[in-house]
Amino acid sequence: MSSGSMVIKRKPGVAPQALYFLVPAIILVGFVLIFPIIFAFFLSTFKWPLVETENRQFIFVDNYINIFKDKEFWHALYLQIGFILIAIPIELVIGFSVALLFNRSFPFATLIRSLLLLPVFVLPVLSGLTWRLMLQPEYGPLNYLISKLGFKQLTWLADPKLAYTAIIIQDIWRMWPFMFMIIYAGLTTIPKDLIEAAKLDGARFRDRVFKIIIPLLKPTIATALLLRIIDALRIFSEVFIMTEGGPGNATTLLSIYIYRQAFRYFNMGYSSAMAIVLMLISLIIALAIVSKNFEVE
Amino acid sequence: MRKFSVLITLLIATFLIATTINVLVWDDAHTEAVKSLIKVFEKETGIKVNFEMLPSRSVLEKTAIGVSSQKTDYDLVAIDEPFIPQFSDLLLPYDEWPEGSKYKKPSLKVVLPEAFRAAEWKGVIRGLPINGNVYVWMARKDLIEKYQDEFKKEYGYDLGFPDTFDQLIDMAKFFTKKGIYGFGPFTIKSEGATCEAIFMFESFGTSVLELKDGKYKVVLDKEKAVKAIEFYKELLKYSPPGATAYGHSERIAAFNQGKIFTMFQWPAIIPSHENPDESLVAGKILYGPPPAGPEKRVAIRGCWILAIPKASKNKKAAAEFAYWWASKEMGKKLVKAGMTPVREDLLLDPELRSEKPWFVAIFQSMKYAVARPRFEKYPEVSDVIQRYWISAVTGQITPEEAIDKMVEEIKNVLRKYGY
Repeated sequence: MSSGSMVIKRKPGVAPQALYFLVPAIILVGFVLIFPIIFAFFLSTFKWPLVETENRQFIFVDNYINIFKDKEFWHALYLQIGFILIAIPIELVIGFSVALLFNRSFPFATLIRSLLLLPVFVLPVLSGLTWRLMLQPEYGPLNYLISKLGFKQLTWLADPKLAYTAIIIQDIWRMWPFMFMIIYAGLTTIPKDLIEAAKLDGARFRDRVFKIIIPLLKPTIATALLLRIIDALRIFSEVFIMTEGGPGNATTLLSIYIYRQAFRYFNMGYSSAMAIVLMLISLIIALAIVSKNFEVE
Repeated sequence: MRKFSVLITLLIATFLIATTINVLVWDDAHTEAVKSLIKVFEKETGIKVNFEMLPSRSVLEKTAIGVSSQKTDYDLVAIDEPFIPQFSDLLLPYDEWPEGSKYKKPSLKVVLPEAFRAAEWKGVIRGLPINGNVYVWMARKDLIEKYQDEFKKEYGYDLGFPDTFDQLIDMAKFFTKKGIYGFGPFTIKSEGATCEAIFMFESFGTSVLELKDGKYKVVLDKEKAVKAIEFYKELLKYSPPGATAYGHSERIAAFNQGKIFTMFQWPAIIPSHENPDESLVAGKILYGPPPAGPEKRVAIRGCWILAIPKASKNKKAAAEFAYWWASKEMGKKLVKAGMTPVREDLLLDPELRSEKPWFVAIFQSMKYAVARPRFEKYPEVSDVIQRYWISAVTGQITPEEAIDKMVEEIKNVLRKYGY
């Protein structure tokens, strides 16, 4: 076993009767989880304009071939990956730093910790709407502050680069407490004696963080990253409310593009094919993280 | 006791026998007005109405999901005019609508002819136009009166209805100098941006698509389209800060707060400008048809039609409801509750005209109505238009580059679908 990996021990000799009790759950999961995936894959092999139900044509892998030729798909994927690579590391750093700060006792710590979690509980639609209003060029509070500081007011959601930045800022604001929550829970499991011993041995704060805390938290961080990446790949409502993918295609992330193909252009087969590709990307990322950070004995 | 049982049985029987229709419509002051009077219809006809109101975009999605040639979740659906070609095969032609039992089937003559054109696709009228939605010009009447002399002294003509686009610019410039923004644009990525683009292109004498001998052709004239973009960019100079991200809510708020002198507006939205609870400028607005562009005077049209899906099992009841909605007698009541009519007799009714001064403007504007491209795959074409129009007017790319890309991508859409 490599250091810092979580070991999942499989107990030998599970009673076969236990499997019977699992059957209802397996059926339910199969219906809720597996059936939609199979159905989406089935749809992805058809050319199916939603308003022409009778004109469904079996085209096998043509939709997948078209995806590779579709410039807008690649642009949306590029934006989506950029979004993940920028937002999630920042959320991790903030979440980790705040978790370290809160890993000690001080007055009202419990209350402040609970308050910090509030953004995670805000509905994505509400978050998008709030940020849209906050970024409003004329009466948005953010521009008011900017103008009070003597800078020119910005048209956040009308400028492609600023709009992309804005959706990333919104995501960081809403989701860093999620990182904080998971990492803080991980921190509380690290034995205090270990840290005390390191202190007595003269380890500096930086050494304690990088040589003790982070290696011990590796599985926790991996779990947080995994959950966030999967969540970020599905991001939709906030972006839709803030920009609808605009200006131009500046914030058309993959989920927005899939929605547009499905419910604006009514290309159900093509959008299903893209949804399957998105799911495969999530699976590959999940497998990579799990295989690197978790070990099954 | 026996009488009570009979009464209960009768009530249950009536409930079971009564026809129920499912109606899907957009959500604004117009449909709110209809909803407020549905009980009247139900009482008179015994037909129960499930009236579902949704934002425009969701109406389209729900129609696509809920209506097919074999079955339908709705007996009557409202469809925005550019999407009629997409759904046309699923809709019962208006000629085949059953006659009403209590309300008369409206003759084509009572509705503004341009509005009926909105309901037409491939020579067949696919439904009943129900709202007279066409761009009207609106401006602050109080400011016109206040600055009349000063404006005339500076520009040499009366301040009032702008007759041309040049006069519109003059007015926008004049009021911006006075600290009131000259124009309220529409610049966020949505159907509103397509409308603004088509309105400008047509005013400068060019269209986007043309159907010739059964084939679609991109006919956008680059020189004219570039001029249209440049004109709009000029208007944006006299617009409020942040005008490059202006959608319905932003422009309604700015106009209602008295920050804007003029803009083009959909009649369906005007009730919110004229509502004193929502607007500081209620009762101070002048309405008219849009000014003439360098090539012609046009007004972009956005009528909704009521359509009966061919698969509906309650066609007669659905038609009855549509006839009630479109009737003159109910129209008078509905207009008072906030409806924008499409009937000529209602738009020109002297009593209603005095209460709703924009009705005459609707009637006048409708004469110059132009449609967005009519095409089965319109949403994709609209998306391309929005993207490059906004990129160009907000200065992200040059007008020339925008038009080149717009033309190229619309051609790609045509190719993709084998046109």
